Amino acid sequence: MDERFSRWFSDRGWLPFAFQREVWDALAAGNSGLLHASTGSGKTLAIWFAALAWALENAPRQASPLRILWITPMRALAQDTGRALSESLRELELGWEVGVRTGDTSSAQRTRLDKRLPIALVTTPETVSLLMSRDGAQEQLGGVDLVIVDEWHELLGSKRGVQTQLAIARLRRWNPNLLVWGLSATLGNLSHALSVLLGGDRAGVIVQGKVPKHMIIDTIIPTRPDRFPWGGHMGTTLLAQVIAEIEDSASTLLFTNTRSQAETWYRALLEARPDWAALIALHHGSIDHKVRNWVEAGLKEGRLRAVVSTSSLDLGVDFLPVDRVLQVGSPKGVARLLQRAGRSGHAPGRVSRATCVPTHSFELVEAAAARRATVARRVEPRDSPRKPIDVLLQHIVTVALGGGFKRDDLLAEVRETWAYRHLTDDEWRWALDFVINGGNALRAYPEYRKVVADDAGVHRVPDRTIAKRHRMSVGTIVGDASVEVRFLRGGRIGTVEESFLSRLQPGESFVFAGRKLELVRVNEMVGYVRKSSSPNASITRWMGGRMPLSSELAAAVRELITSAAHDEYDEPELLALRPLFELQKRWSIIPTQDELLVEAVQSREGHHLFVFPFAGRLVHTGLAALLAWRLARRQPLTFSLAANDYGFELLCPEPVEWNGLIDAPLFSTKDLSEDIVHSMNAGEMARRRFREIARVSGLVFQGFPGAQKSMRQLQASSGLIYDVFARYDPDNLLLRQAREESLQQELELSRLRETLDSMQQRTLRFVRPTHVTPFAFPLLIERIREKLSTEKLADRVARMVKALERAADRPQKEAA
Amino acid sequence: MNGICRVVVAGEELWLLPERAMLWPARRTLLAADPHFGKAAVFRARGIPVPSGSTGGTLASLASLVAQHAPECLVFLGDFFHGKRSQNDATLGALQAWRRAHSRLHVQLVQGNHDRHSGAPPDELDIEWIADTLADGPFTFSHHAREDAPGYVLSGHLHPAINLFGPGRDHVRLPCFVFGVDNAILPAFGEFTGGAAVDRLNWQRVFAVTQERVFEL
Repeated sequence: MDERFSRWFSDRGWLPFAFQREVWDALAAGNSGLLHASTGSGKTLAIWFAALAWALENAPRQASPLRILWITPMRALAQDTGRALSESLRELELGWEVGVRTGDTSSAQRTRLDKRLPIALVTTPETVSLLMSRDGAQEQLGGVDLVIVDEWHELLGSKRGVQTQLAIARLRRWNPNLLVWGLSATLGNLSHALSVLLGGDRAGVIVQGKVPKHMIIDTIIPTRPDRFPWGGHMGTTLLAQVIAEIEDSASTLLFTNTRSQAETWYRALLEARPDWAALIALHHGSIDHKVRNWVEAGLKEGRLRAVVSTSSLDLGVDFLPVDRVLQVGSPKGVARLLQRAGRSGHAPGRVSRATCVPTHSFELVEAAAARRATVARRVEPRDSPRKPIDVLLQHIVTVALGGGFKRDDLLAEVRETWAYRHLTDDEWRWALDFVINGGNALRAYPEYRKVVADDAGVHRVPDRTIAKRHRMSVGTIVGDASVEVRFLRGGRIGTVEESFLSRLQPGESFVFAGRKLELVRVNEMVGYVRKSSSPNASITRWMGGRMPLSSELAAAVRELITSAAHDEYDEPELLALRPLFELQKRWSIIPTQDELLVEAVQSREGHHLFVFPFAGRLVHTGLAALLAWRLARRQPLTFSLAANDYGFELLCPEPVEWNGLIDAPLFSTKDLSEDIVHSMNAGEMARRRFREIARVSGLVFQGFPGAQKSMRQLQASSGLIYDVFARYDPDNLLLRQAREESLQQELELSRLRETLDSMQQRTLRFVRPTHVTPFAFPLLIERIREKLSTEKLADRVARMVKALERAADRPQKEAA
Repeated sequence: MNGICRVVVAGEELWLLPERAMLWPARRTLLAADPHFGKAAVFRARGIPVPSGSTGGTLASLASLVAQHAPECLVFLGDFFHGKRSQNDATLGALQAWRRAHSRLHVQLVQGNHDRHSGAPPDELDIEWIADTLADGPFTFSHHAREDAPGYVLSGHLHPAINLFGPGRDHVRLPCFVFGVDNAILPAFGEFTGGAAVDRLNWQRVFAVTQERVFEL
């Protein structure tokens, strides 16, 4: 290692960590690899110095100065990383520079970068694609020797990760000796993460970073947890305790699972402590990035007491002053809790501490389960998507623009990636036909000219308008169509999903970015609002906020419930819930891991069947529909359905004799896919899924500033295009992708199959309680929630709880 | 007949057809708004691969309507072609074949905003081009909903659709006919056309259309 690096360390009185040396040696020996470590452990420095040392040792191969490409998942992260890397570079006095280029980079800055590229460029997957779609792509990027992918675990499971895989394959074509390094948090399947990153059959090294220092995970335990839990009141009941925790800490991050929950807590905190108005802030993905930058700066400088945030602050450069992390609601996953806990306690001598704030009783179990799984490092795996056709179509056009391609060369290159390693010849031909002929080659539309081959067989995009539109849409690989929210007078507040705004009527009020706003009108992807004085503004509800419990966490929950079944209350959270469990035991049973609890209850509403596989909400949604459909095939019954993370409910208004109905074939995995397609509205799910696919593959465009009028002729919703495909091109691979994605991602089909298998292994415990049990109660609420407004629901739930509590407190002989 | 809704406006009975068209039985006149023929071809010409077939589907629906109701006159309420590139050999060929099979039908086109760009249909199609609006009995046929026109205005352009919400997150959007005090708007007739959501409170009567039938909401 060059002495400048060792001097840099000794100047600071530091010693490199063993893992940092390991990375330097591995890279110096010409290895690619993966470094996994928690945030703030010095992994950035490890890989950065190794990269610089490598660049010093090895002469550039090409005239272009750009040698190191640093890919990060978030634009905001790119800025911070760029700054941190520049600083150390200045201190090392190597005379080199770092550039940052993302969708946020100003055009002046872009021009400057184009004129003189730095040795290292920090950027995002979208921007790499954009650079690859330019004429001089190879001249600019062909000299890249080393690609570093930061927060690889974030990209791995997504289409942006696939975009990254394709970009790496392209860079490797230009430079067969390309080295690739990934930085990742701990995952359940690190070797998969490495294979996906490197592609082909390449070997690489996995370096284990500094083992995270001691971490405390605990829970604010309510004095008297409800015996009949429900999650409807957004659970600010622990507000006073949360305020006390914030007061005790210098700086707190309060993580929530959804943006609406963040909005609720921010308002609740402000109402309780108006004196904190300038000291607490709100941060989530819909808030304008200028405001987010201000919040992040405030955290770094220690100006803010607390920030209420969603996953938008999961990643990023460390905020040293943060010494406390509160997690509102269940973390839903082990990796997520590890990541969030790691955001605190970076100052010397401090420990990372995350405290769970349950919003209803069962979240106490989840908090204890998360701690157990975290200590045991049972972290969720993440898998790369398999050959998504939409991303492939986009990439083919990108490469056609960026210098052009020959068919066989590009196929070989694409197959180098993990995602497309099993791409069949037929699929490849189909994709090429789609971009070259506008569909199946036999049909050959004369008017269609997108990608055209010249005499030498090189495919390019001759039409400049098509080229421009493609480059503009490359950046929008993810995300629901979003609408900008602006004041009538012009101030920008942030963005919300189009699907949310389309449900509001002008004149209606909603809470957004901590303010009450009234929608005035929506015009060309901008929602204009004014301040609202309405007392009953609805909290913005965003889609996709409700994550299911991960398999790892669900397994830990089952273990804890098994403990309770054996009267072992060996976690404080479990002990607090003892009254709930004892009542459950009195009225029904507590199932162990080897048992499947099924409760049949009769009420004024009808005949309820509650089933508790403890396998996560999406799986239960699918199971409920599946069982209802299979039952209805035997007897003409109609059911209402409900599902949560613990189980599901079937409710039938007519009398049902469950006894003969609950049997093995009901839980069989035979014909599962077909039955699921019939039982769920699978067509509609696929149609919804097609929105993203249509956007990625360039079939629809989001409006963007400066779009010409002629673009309007090309406006069609993805749903409309889906219908036309379904009718006139039913074998279209994009339709197949939409169907598969909806089954796998919206229903977790493979997990559903595993759950059915495991349910068949368990002993069926069929119980007929006289009352709705504590386990079943949340499901009952889940179902009626859809029908009632929040206030009415709260009243009704209060009445139900009162009645059940009365029943529970009656002398025991009355219970069945 | 199945699936049809009958309404009386301006003293005349009108039939709302599940094919997203309207029949004025007293005059044996069939009305269809916004067919947008050749729209997929416009998309393809700009590099968006949408399959062909929707023009054929729209024409088949028209043929079936003529067979069922034997109208003497057919009025398109604007936006006949989607764009300039819609007037290509394949689309024109299909239209001509259809026209030859229905040569006795009197066909009129009230000009719409798309027609201004894409131009008049070729003479062989024998379609009477109406540059402004067309008055007939108590009605004015127009592309845009106009307030200044005399009589009850029947128009297109908007592609009205209505959102219906079921239990949970269940939600469908259906094309619809909307009726006000002095005008009504027809759903888009073409297969490859989208819809703009309307607010049912703004209209006196709203009729949603499914493939099988028309029903009042």
